[in-house]
Amino acid sequence: MTVGQPVERVDGRAKVTGDARYAADRTLPGMLYSYLVMGTIARGRVTSVDTAAARAVPGVVEVFTHENAPRLTSDQHFMPLQGTQIHYNGQIVAITVATTPEQAQEAAELVRVTYAPETPKAVIADALTEVYLPANQEVIVGDPTAGLAAAEVTVTQNYSSPPHHHNPIEPHATVAQWDGDHLTVHETSQGVVNAQRTFASAFAIPQTNVRVLAPYLGGGFGGKSPVWPHSLLNAAIARQLGRPAKMVLTRAQMYSIVSHRAEFRQQVTLGAKRDGTLTALVHLSTQQLSRTSENMYSHSISSRMLYACPNIHTRQQGVRLDVPTSRFMRSPQMASHFGLETALDELSYQLGIDPVELRRRNYTDVNPTTGERFSSRFLLDCYKLGADAFGWSRRNPKPGSTRDGHEFVGWGMATEAHDHNANPSSAMVRMAADGTVLSQTATQDIGTGTYTVFTQVVADALGVPLNQVKVELGDTNFPPAALSAGSGTIASVTGAVNAAALAVRTAVVQLAVSNPASPLHGLPAEQIITQHGYLFSPDRSRRESYRAVMARHGAPVQNTSSMTNARGYSTGAVFVEVRVDPRYGRVRVTRGVGAYDAGRVMNHKTAGSQVIGGFTWGIGNALMEHTVLDRRTARVVNPNLSTYLLAVNADVPDIQAIFVNKPDPVSTALGARGFGETPITGVPAAIGNAIFHATGRRIRDLPFTQDKLL
Amino acid sequence: MKNFTYAAPRNVADAVRLAGQPDARFIAGGTDLLNLMKDGAQSHGAIIDINGLALGDIVQRNGVIRIGALARMSDVAAHPAVRRSLPVVSEALLNSASPQIRNMAAVGGNVLQRTRCGYFRDSGTTCNKKAPGSGCPALEGENRGHAVLGGSDHCIAVHPSDLAVALLAVDAVVLTDRRRIPFADFHVVPGTTPDQETVLGHGELITGFEIPVTPLAARSRYLKLRDRATFEFAVVAVAAALNMRGNTVRDVRLTFGGVATKPWRSPEAEDALRGKPLTTTTITEAGRALVRGAVTRDHNAFKVDLVQRALDGLLRDLGGVR
Amino acid sequence: MTADSEYKRRTVLKAGSAAVTATLVATPAATPAAAAQTESSSVDITLRVNGRDHRLAVEPRVTLLDALRERLDLTGTKKGCDRGECGACTVLVDGRRIKSCLTLAVMRQNAEITTIEGLARDDRLHPLQEAFIRRDAFQCGGCTPGQIMSGVACISEGHTRSADEIREWMSGNLCRCACYPNIVDAIQDAAK
Repeated sequence: MTVGQPVERVDGRAKVTGDARYAADRTLPGMLYSYLVMGTIARGRVTSVDTAAARAVPGVVEVFTHENAPRLTSDQHFMPLQGTQIHYNGQIVAITVATTPEQAQEAAELVRVTYAPETPKAVIADALTEVYLPANQEVIVGDPTAGLAAAEVTVTQNYSSPPHHHNPIEPHATVAQWDGDHLTVHETSQGVVNAQRTFASAFAIPQTNVRVLAPYLGGGFGGKSPVWPHSLLNAAIARQLGRPAKMVLTRAQMYSIVSHRAEFRQQVTLGAKRDGTLTALVHLSTQQLSRTSENMYSHSISSRMLYACPNIHTRQQGVRLDVPTSRFMRSPQMASHFGLETALDELSYQLGIDPVELRRRNYTDVNPTTGERFSSRFLLDCYKLGADAFGWSRRNPKPGSTRDGHEFVGWGMATEAHDHNANPSSAMVRMAADGTVLSQTATQDIGTGTYTVFTQVVADALGVPLNQVKVELGDTNFPPAALSAGSGTIASVTGAVNAAALAVRTAVVQLAVSNPASPLHGLPAEQIITQHGYLFSPDRSRRESYRAVMARHGAPVQNTSSMTNARGYSTGAVFVEVRVDPRYGRVRVTRGVGAYDAGRVMNHKTAGSQVIGGFTWGIGNALMEHTVLDRRTARVVNPNLSTYLLAVNADVPDIQAIFVNKPDPVSTALGARGFGETPITGVPAAIGNAIFHATGRRIRDLPFTQDKLL
Repeated sequence: MKNFTYAAPRNVADAVRLAGQPDARFIAGGTDLLNLMKDGAQSHGAIIDINGLALGDIVQRNGVIRIGALARMSDVAAHPAVRRSLPVVSEALLNSASPQIRNMAAVGGNVLQRTRCGYFRDSGTTCNKKAPGSGCPALEGENRGHAVLGGSDHCIAVHPSDLAVALLAVDAVVLTDRRRIPFADFHVVPGTTPDQETVLGHGELITGFEIPVTPLAARSRYLKLRDRATFEFAVVAVAAALNMRGNTVRDVRLTFGGVATKPWRSPEAEDALRGKPLTTTTITEAGRALVRGAVTRDHNAFKVDLVQRALDGLLRDLGGVR
Repeated sequence: MTADSEYKRRTVLKAGSAAVTATLVATPAATPAAAAQTESSSVDITLRVNGRDHRLAVEPRVTLLDALRERLDLTGTKKGCDRGECGACTVLVDGRRIKSCLTLAVMRQNAEITTIEGLARDDRLHPLQEAFIRRDAFQCGGCTPGQIMSGVACISEGHTRSADEIREWMSGNLCRCACYPNIVDAIQDAAK
């Protein structure tokens, strides 16, 4: 068995040598470069666009404005350049096209746009009277009012968090090429099948006329899940000009046209008995919406699914602002989870109950909202494994009790939890006449290890060595499969890959036992053992290699299978140590331990890296990440990577990842559950809780910058 | 970015002559200039590459360390004479930027780098530095990172250089192709002309820096506070140089970054210490003297507190005060 | 050369004008109407990359990064921010690590440029490339070429005496998948 082993990434060599080709790495003969011109007001209308100077730049082929841009509609998003209306700052107001990227960029600088501006609203604080409850955003379980009345202790606190931007290191890129009414797009996409559908719909051509490729993706984190309007515009430009066109967004452009995590405010009220038992959980939140979309992604699912509480009320309000539309971002439930897990820590101090013990006392293996039993949940194991590894039992709960030199040391913890997607998927497995195996499926490896895990799955199902298997992903020519988002890739697609591989195995075994030339002839097929590239008799006295069976057969054996899976919920517990220098309000995270129930762990190496990644995102969210909008102009003031701060290497300590590793019995993905988004969710709260333990200071507004700790 | 002509002269005289063209600009490391041009904050028709000039040496002679303008940040930071005699310079450099940028950026260009104010760097926003009279959005806008000292109604952008703060603390002199400029006179506050950041004339070439080797400079340190562990501009930075006679402060230099519109020296804070014992009381008084006259805005008032704390912490470390 | 070079016209003005001693001077050429859609002021340069000389025509404003990626099809070097803020474009020039987005191609003639494509020797991976795979020091791969080039330099500079030293000296390279501890492990392995 290789599943579960810490197998090295099969795409590693391509990635460490520079051989891996990402969308922006494609250069096609005759290709033009498109470059966006971004608006500078957030609300109002374009009154005129002067393109004369831009057109005069040598090499410029065309300049598109709302007056001459191709007419397009998107099935998902507001489409710019179709009229004069401006809905957010940094909206696309023109596109230049030239023979080199420098010419296109220079021309873009020279496009002169004039506006009739109106006063925008940029932040929730400026639109509090406009907060409303969109449809289907309120859930009430039991009688929360009665639950609060029955409480012996209550905590009510407000928490807030700023907008965040996904900021994958690879900028969004799209390269479009037409051949008649057939379109090929190299797209930075977390979902090539969805992208194919969107392109086909925009150009009113059959889906089969569109091929989308994303064999490698330089990170997405949710921001590359849809096809954004700029990609459709670039493809339309390529069609109109009759040449391939490449558009690579600048870092600054990524702050207005490819979404973000919404600004979020929340009030959490907990009612509890003296023994810590929750009697009521009321979670009211408000998140920013745009003028053109009511979609919201910062859901209070943790409050509805995590703890045993008979009376729950979640209300997810919105407020429309003159800002771009938000989208899910690793991990969408983190924003509300921060409030819940901080409030629980506050409750633990009010009750004098250890924070781990408080969570244990409210453990449930039944979904508190629906009453259904979880197919498997080993959260109690996570608390124990994590606490033991961290040394939690040595913690003196008194705030400010541990000092080391200038620094106060604090320990904090939080539960981690996130649900995951499971979308119907299909996959092809083919064994060639030489015994080598190819598997293809139109899902993606966005960095999580999909190539590697599927190689393991196919190798195990067939009983062949890993190096006999090649997996290909990210191409709509392959059988359709899931979007790589919502922690859904492994959960969605593994079952189909496994089923196709098993079907091929069955067929090849049948070829052997039914052929008199095989040493296995006449044996019952179901008793054949497959291992190391061989087919064995049950007593292993006889064997024949796959290669030999296939050579005799002289033709490939192939199967395409489809599979569905159930959505699920993966949980864990995270423990952190911080050191706070009270002289400067400076916080360092110096230790992290996370323990997780993700069902079966497919690959301990890649799963461990997901934990490290999630923890690091948690550090960023806790201590520094923050998109700053000018309140008067609704324009991002820090659209870069030097003042929008991501954690750097020196911010991140060693992080220990522990897995319960018990298969979920209902998961068709060999017992694996989706997991990638779980190990971030609790980290900001755990860090905040640790800061409280270190200093006695409770910060309820993210990020915890030093000015808040002076 | 518009295209430009490119020339790589081999001597200072040619370089200066070429730079006399109206929209010419020198390039050395290029680490800020190219960003400014990409961001549309500056535009130049002629770029004069001075990397071929013999201005990269670091030498110590006659009690003076001379650092050539083209010496790279990483080389200056690692130079034994600098580490021994000007520790604040080495520390400030090692706290700057990233290893790659320190390998590229020349120290002459470092002191000329321009503010990281988000409004200045945004071609879609007005800014008095870019277009005098167009207005400063930072005054009433997002100014957490902005100056509390040396600002005006026209500009409150902070100067981003760590090195400049250190050079100011060690009495450096700027050498150009035509004159010597005491470092304290080199940068200017914005006043009504925030587009003017130094006294350098058009086409004037920094050739190096001279720094006297003194006991004061030998006991010097740099403290930089920021929102992540490293690779970030200062929220608040302090350079201190201290010469003690027994318990008494014989001489002291206190300079600051992240809080002012130019590398900031505080004679008032120095006076609060000079000739006095280094104690909690005198250190506190120095901090108060520093921020007397500070002007805060909506989001940057914490810097007044933080810079005093930074000064306090650094002086205690440097002076061995518990 | 990439295919789009057929759309370029080269205008070359070599150095040595009477007025100044310059190694290279390029000025915009008068652009005939027929050539209106071409580069008006390219210069011929030679870049020595991974031990091979590449002749190409670029405008002076073309960065080393864009010359590598868009002209020489050496796309292993990544563009993450184009402002020196992420480190994805790190290459070695004469053995020192730099950010190729912050320098002009014309400025890097007569220099030995090493990119990620030039690190392996005859199919044998560099020890740090091997260590990155073994330690799972990457996920999406977007920052990885820059991390590895920076790591190679970090090792040769000797900034590997402790994990904390590596953390500090590798902080010029952002990793959004966030593999930092594994990157530190890989560099420690390769430094041995």
